[in-house]
This record gives sequence, C-alpha cells and structure tokens, in this order.
Amino acid sequence: MLSVAIFLPLLAGILVLLVRQEKFSKILSLITSGVVLLIVTYLFLGFDWNKAGFQYETKYPWIPTLGISYHVGVDGMAISLLLMTAIMFLASFIWSWKIEDRPNLYYALFLILETACLGVFSALDFFLFYLFWEGMLIPMYFIIGLWGHERKVYAANKFFVYTFFGSLFLLLGIASLIAYAYINTGQISFDYTFHRNFSYPLWLQLLAFLLFGIGFAVKIPMWPVHTWLPDAHVEAPTAGSVILAAVLLKMGTYGFVRYSLPLFPEASKYYVPLIFTLSIIAIIYTAMMAIAQTHIKRLIAYSSISHMGVVTLGTFASDINALNGAIYMMIAHGLSSAALFMSAGFIYDRIHSYHMDDLGGLARYLPKLAVVFMISGLAGIGFPGLAGFVAEFLVFLGTFKNFPLWAFIAGTGMILSAAYFLYMYKRVMFEEETISEYRLEKWKHLKDLELHHFIPFVIILACAFLLGLYPLPFVKIVEQTSRYVLGG
Amino acid sequence: MNWNAILPELLLSIGILVVFFLELFLSKKYYKFLVFVAGIVPLLSVLSLFLVQTPAQAFFGVLYTDTYSLIAKGLIYLITGLSLFASYDYFLKKGSEYGELAYLVLVSSLGLSLLVSSANLALLFLSLELASITMYILIGTFKGEYLSKEASYKYLVIGSIGTAMLAFGSAFYYGAVGSLTLKQYSQDNTLFLLGMFLILSALALKVSSVPFHFWTPDAYEGAPTPITAYISTAPKIALYFLLSKMAMLFSQMKAWVLLVIILSVLSMFYAGLIAYVQRSVKRLLAYSSVAHAGYFLLGVIVWDKFLNSAMLFYLSVYAFAVLGSFVVLTVLEKRENFTHHFMDYRGLGRYDTLLAVLLSLFLFAMIGIPPMALFIGKLGIFAGLVKLDLLPLALLFLLASLISTGYYLKVIVYMFMEGSERKWQKVEVSVGEAFVILVCAIAVVFLGLFPNVLYELILKGL
Repeated sequence: MLSVAIFLPLLAGILVLLVRQEKFSKILSLITSGVVLLIVTYLFLGFDWNKAGFQYETKYPWIPTLGISYHVGVDGMAISLLLMTAIMFLASFIWSWKIEDRPNLYYALFLILETACLGVFSALDFFLFYLFWEGMLIPMYFIIGLWGHERKVYAANKFFVYTFFGSLFLLLGIASLIAYAYINTGQISFDYTFHRNFSYPLWLQLLAFLLFGIGFAVKIPMWPVHTWLPDAHVEAPTAGSVILAAVLLKMGTYGFVRYSLPLFPEASKYYVPLIFTLSIIAIIYTAMMAIAQTHIKRLIAYSSISHMGVVTLGTFASDINALNGAIYMMIAHGLSSAALFMSAGFIYDRIHSYHMDDLGGLARYLPKLAVVFMISGLAGIGFPGLAGFVAEFLVFLGTFKNFPLWAFIAGTGMILSAAYFLYMYKRVMFEEETISEYRLEKWKHLKDLELHHFIPFVIILACAFLLGLYPLPFVKIVEQTSRYVLGG
Repeated sequence: MNWNAILPELLLSIGILVVFFLELFLSKKYYKFLVFVAGIVPLLSVLSLFLVQTPAQAFFGVLYTDTYSLIAKGLIYLITGLSLFASYDYFLKKGSEYGELAYLVLVSSLGLSLLVSSANLALLFLSLELASITMYILIGTFKGEYLSKEASYKYLVIGSIGTAMLAFGSAFYYGAVGSLTLKQYSQDNTLFLLGMFLILSALALKVSSVPFHFWTPDAYEGAPTPITAYISTAPKIALYFLLSKMAMLFSQMKAWVLLVIILSVLSMFYAGLIAYVQRSVKRLLAYSSVAHAGYFLLGVIVWDKFLNSAMLFYLSVYAFAVLGSFVVLTVLEKRENFTHHFMDYRGLGRYDTLLAVLLSLFLFAMIGIPPMALFIGKLGIFAGLVKLDLLPLALLFLLASLISTGYYLKVIVYMFMEGSERKWQKVEVSVGEAFVILVCAIAVVFLGLFPNVLYELILKGL
C-alpha cells in the first residue's frame, strides 16, 4: 500500500510526459493526488499508536552487494507528514488549475516531486532516503527556474547549489556510518534499523552528527545557511512555494528526528548549546528580518525560518513534550505557511505585485481573501484554537522544563511573529489611504477567490482548525515516534 | 602458445583487416556500410570474451588475461562499437567521410585492449603507442578544418613527451628490478622510484590529469565530435583499469600514494575552477573530464577492494554518460553554423526538448545526482575513502563535486531558462545516434537503480 502511494505519482508523471495533453495532465494529476491522499488517509486511520516501531513495513533486497534494500515503513511522525504531503499536493494541483505556461511539464514535475517527498518520509534505508532526498532537487530546480518570477535563474541556482552542498555532507555522513559499521562488523548495510541498533563511539557520533546536521540544516534552513530560502520563495511560483514551505523544509527537521537523535544520542546532547544558539538566532533574528521586509513573500519566507527555529529548539530539548511539539509544529507550520503563500500568490495573481507599497485596502475589494488570510496568519503566529498554538505550547512547555532560560528567550520570538504578521496584514488589507484613487478605481473590478482557490484554502484551514481544537489523537500518533526516539 | 588468451584481439585484428580491404575496394558511397561493419566488429569481440578461459597467458607471460581485464575489454569494445555507430551521419553531413576512420578506431581499441592485459612494460609501451598514434590521426581527420589539425599536432607533441617519459621510466624500472615484468616491488630504491615517477607521469598525461592536461581541452575541442566521444571514454577505461592494477603492485610505497594524491587534488580543483570561464560546452566537458580524472585517481591511491571496485564502477558508468553527452553534441553540431558556444545552446529546451532533456540527464548524472549510476560510484568512493581513514580527501572530493555542479548547471540554465533569438532549423537524428543516446541513457539510469549487474562483475574480477 505504502509503496503504491509512493510510486503512483511517478508513474502518473511519466504518463503525463508521454501523453502531453493539457486536459489529461490536469485531470490525471488531480486523480492521482486524490488517490494518494485516500491511501495515506487509510494508512493513517489504521495506524496503531500504541505499538512501538515502524508499521506497514516492506523490505526487499535491492543491491545486495552494497547491503542496500528497498525498505519503507512509517511511524507516527512519518505518517503524519505523509498525510500533510498528500494534502498539500492535492491542494497545489487544484490551485494550479488555470496554469497556462507549459502545463504538461509543470504537472509532470510536481508529480515526480510528490514521489520524492513521500519517499523521503517513508524510506528506512539510507540509500533509498538519499535517493528520494536528491530526487526532489531536480523537479524543484526546474519549477523555480521555469515558472518563477524575474530573478528565477539566480534563485534556482542558489537553491540547487545550497541544497546540493548540504546533501553532499549528508552523503559523507552516511558513508562514514556505513564504513564504520563495515570495518567493525564486516557487514555492509544501509538499513536504518541495522544502524539504529548499532551504538557508535562518541568521536564518530560527533563527526557524523555534524555531517548529517549540515545536510539537514541547509534544508530546514537554520540560521547561517538560510539565505537561499527567501530568494527561492520570492521567485518560485505559488504552488512551488507551497510545496517548498510545507513539505521540503520539513525534510530537514524530519531528518533530525529520524536520524540525528536516535543514531547519535550522546552527540545530540553534546551539541545542544550549538543547536539552541542557532535556533534562538533563527527565531529572533529572522523574525526581526521579517518585520523589516516590504515584499510579502519574503516576509513569509523569513517567518518560516523563524518557525523552523522553534522546531529545532523543541527537537533537541530532550523532553517528550517538546519533541511532540516539534513534530506537531512541522505539521502546523506546513499548513499555515502553505495558506499564507497561497494568499500571497493570489494577491500577485490579481494585483501583480508583492510589494506592500503597491498594496493596501484590499479587505474592501477582496473580502473572502481577507478572511482566509487572517485565519492563515493566526494559525502561523500560534493563535489558540489553531494548530500552531498547540505546537508552540508543547515546545515551550517541554523546553522550559529543562532549559528555562532558552525557552524564555525563544518565547519573545513569538511576540515578534505576531508583530510582523499584523503589520503585514495592516499594510496589505487596510491603509486604503496610501493607494492612489486611480488604482482603487481599477481594483473595484477585482475578482475574489474562485472555486479553485477556495477549495485548497478550505482543506488546509479545516485541517488547521482540527489540529487546533482536537489535538489529542494527533499528539498520540506523534508521541509514538517521540517515545521511540527518546527511548521511553 | 595459448591462442585462447588473445581470442578477442585476434577477432578484432581480423575485423580490422576485413574493414581495411573493404575500404580499399569500396567506393565512397558505401561509407555508411563500412562504418556499420566496423561497428559490428567490436561487438563480435565482446561476444568472444565469453569464450575466453581465464586466467590465461600468451607470448611467454607478456600478455596476461584474467576476468578483470576481460571486463575492461568488454567495456572498451562496447564503447568503441557505440561511438562508431554514432559517427557516420556526422561525417556525411560535414562532408568529411574518411573510410580510414572506421578501422583506425578499431586499431586504437586493439591497442587499448592489449594495454589492459599487458603484464610487461614492453607490451604496455607498444600497446599504448598503438592506441595513441592512431588517436593523433583520428583527431586530425576533419576535412578542411584547421582546428582539428592543430589539435592533432598539439596532442602529438605533448603525447610524445608522455611516450618519452614512459620509455625512460621503463628503462629505470628495468635497471632497478632487472626485468620488465610488472610485479610487486617494495624495496627502497631511488632508481625504482624515479622509474615509477616517470611511468606514473606518462599515464597521468594520458588520462589528462593536471599538470599534464594541457592537450585535453584543445584536442577535445578540435577533434570531430564523434571522435571526441571516443577519445574521452575508451582510453580512460583502459588506463584506469591499468592504473588500478598498478596500484595493487606499487601502492605500499609512500611516493605512489603521495604522487597520486597530488595529481588527483590538483586535477579536481584546477579543472573545476577553470571550467567556469569556458564559453564552449565542448571545452567545458573537456575540463569536466580533467576533473573526473581527479576523482578516479582518488580510487587508485591505495589498493583496496572496496575503493577500487567503486572507482571502476564509477568509471564504467561515467563512460556511458560522457559518450551520451558527446553524441548529443554531435547531433547538435550537424546544424549549420552551430558552434558549441553557450549562446547556441540558448532555448534548446524549447525547440529540441528531447535532446536537451537527455543532455541534462547526462549532466545531472555527472553532478552525481541519484538515481543516475554515477551517484553510486561517488558514494562508493566516499565510503571507501572514509573506510581507509582518508576523511580529508573525502572532504576535498566533496568540495570539488560541489564546485563542479555550478558549471554543469550553467549548460542546463542556458538550455532551459534562456530564450533564443536565432531560429535553428530542425535537426535530424540518425538511427545510429538515436540508438547510442538511448543505450547510454538507459545504461546510466538502469545501472543506477540496479548497479548489482555490473558491480558484482567488477568485484568478481578484482
């Protein structure tokens, strides 16, 4: 089942490339992502959160000489992320319903991207994981480079080189683990569970943690290596931004929880000050950067970095609540940032500008957008009743127990997040007086959300409400991973 | 006398003679047929490899054939056949149909195939010269093209220095060891060191590693593109298989390790940086080949089964990726006035989508992105280096690979993300070219997903 869900989009993508009919591509993509969502939902509902370890496992030997196998399976974190991924792709496909520029290639790339994303979250073999991890690079590169805005080539190249830089370190980290295990046991294996039961000496842990960490940090992105993200977001098309923010960024934090924490437990403790410092810088500094932006997509991009800082903070707080919160935050941030980027993309579709100077008073002309924009923003800044609140609450609760000072400093970042969002909302939706009469006259005829805009918003915001109002089952599912990772 | 050991070479020689006589008597209009026959010959030799009983030796132990060299031969023949199939239409379109070319390529492959099974420096010298001299000629076989002659001459002059170094090195080796047979030798002996140094330099020149790379960009650029495809793949395979064998014999010596490391690091970084200022895709690929020489040399620093098998696997699939990309270039060059300047690649993704996609596939493969097979090779070399406690080198390798992404991406950016003002006429892809590109693309992807097919073979050979 799981494998079907992973590879179905790839098959559909190849089919789309072969047939090259616009209508066919669109309908097939919708059906495919719908079926994937159904399968993943089915798996999600059947998931047993009381059972430790991986479920729905499939394992076939693939390259026996190198100890590589096709091994997939999910735990609580993975199945939640899979569900979010499936929802996001369905939403993106609906959102892109009216794309005109090379639609077949566009849909094919997104379908291939979906396979890679689903694969990353379910691979239990280092090789397979890396395959999917890199597999997402090429489609995303072309999505930014071909359908982006003015400086798309620059952004696409920057995205590629940064991510590839990280991936190479990840690769070296993987190679060092494999080599160590090979020297000591004489057995060469890329299997996750094999390495999970293997305890590495401290020096290797410290080294491999850094190598893995660089790979993940670029993807998250953490503070000093974050500069590709604002550019990529600013230039990417809306659906690309949605996937980038909602799914791709989660791969890094997912990697930390899946690989760094359980494989290098001592190193994870050793590097806590480093990770915390970087996280705090990310939370505070990028939130301040966000306040200074006048480009709405850039602002949302910086807010993403800030929120991902909360995730890394919670991940390494060595507390089950904080880890639950961190994983919950991945989902919550995925939902809110996707909705925010869709709002920004919609504004661009109508007004053809992302700059706050060109925007203002939109609440009067696009009332439906004003509502969904507000809800998405509140979900992002952690307003009670929405998903972000539960996540942030759990992270700070857990972190406060072990590291009160850090938690306190990070908490101030949350105030900043309210500041930048409300500031943006004020500039974009109100402050009609800054806009010329001529423009306002033209805006009278703006069309509000259409059906293909409305459905994705409804899906995503419904999820945000669900996660915010009734978090218990989801926290339980996520906790299945946390217990396993923290060895509780 | 064991004829069995040289069965593939015998077959190849007979084929060469047949093509030679055919060429004498057939008129120009049978050019296509001639090349086709020449392309079949190495494929027949591939089949004959299965008949060889290994290990076997001939000519009083001068020539030694084992599974290891058979694998190399198989790859060389396959590449030779493929590059011949891809060549005919280009030369017909360019009005440069030399029938001699058909058998000269085979002669060169004969030399390379003897090279991988030579157990003696004399045979090594002869076979390498056989291959090199034919390659000098091949590079110059572009009718009426000045650059081609210049490239040929340049390679001849620089290549002769390699010849001299090899001959000189062999003499020293003989002085130290008392025999020309390649064998393990670990005594501390200045004469031997000098000999090894010269031999290694000569081989480094042939694999175009920095600082002996100066002929490479010119020769690659000046040669007719199908010939570039050949000289950038087949000789590399032979030479690295040979170098890997030499690593087994000599790598206990510190000097060997040090020299190879220097050559490799220089090649990786120098070529990686110089490639950025190139304006021609063909030249860029030449520098990429120099950079790859650096990667492969990492695999022969010491003899380790894991590292070596990874390098040889990497090398084999790399050959397919390079062959594929040069054949795509061949097809593009058939357009009138097409130079390989970046400007001519602009907007290629729009009007020649399939070719552009395939070229990007090969370029992405060279960057080392899974699921393309070159990634497995890279991973293997990484793991091998880490396993041997050579982490700094692994880090350098990583850095060099990272640097290299930029220039490959540049080509892709020009193809897909820039518009073109020029209107190119539609280009016809001949059957041979289509076949070769397809085979290479499938090989690169298939071996990436199921590397076992080749990997186990190489492991068996080592």
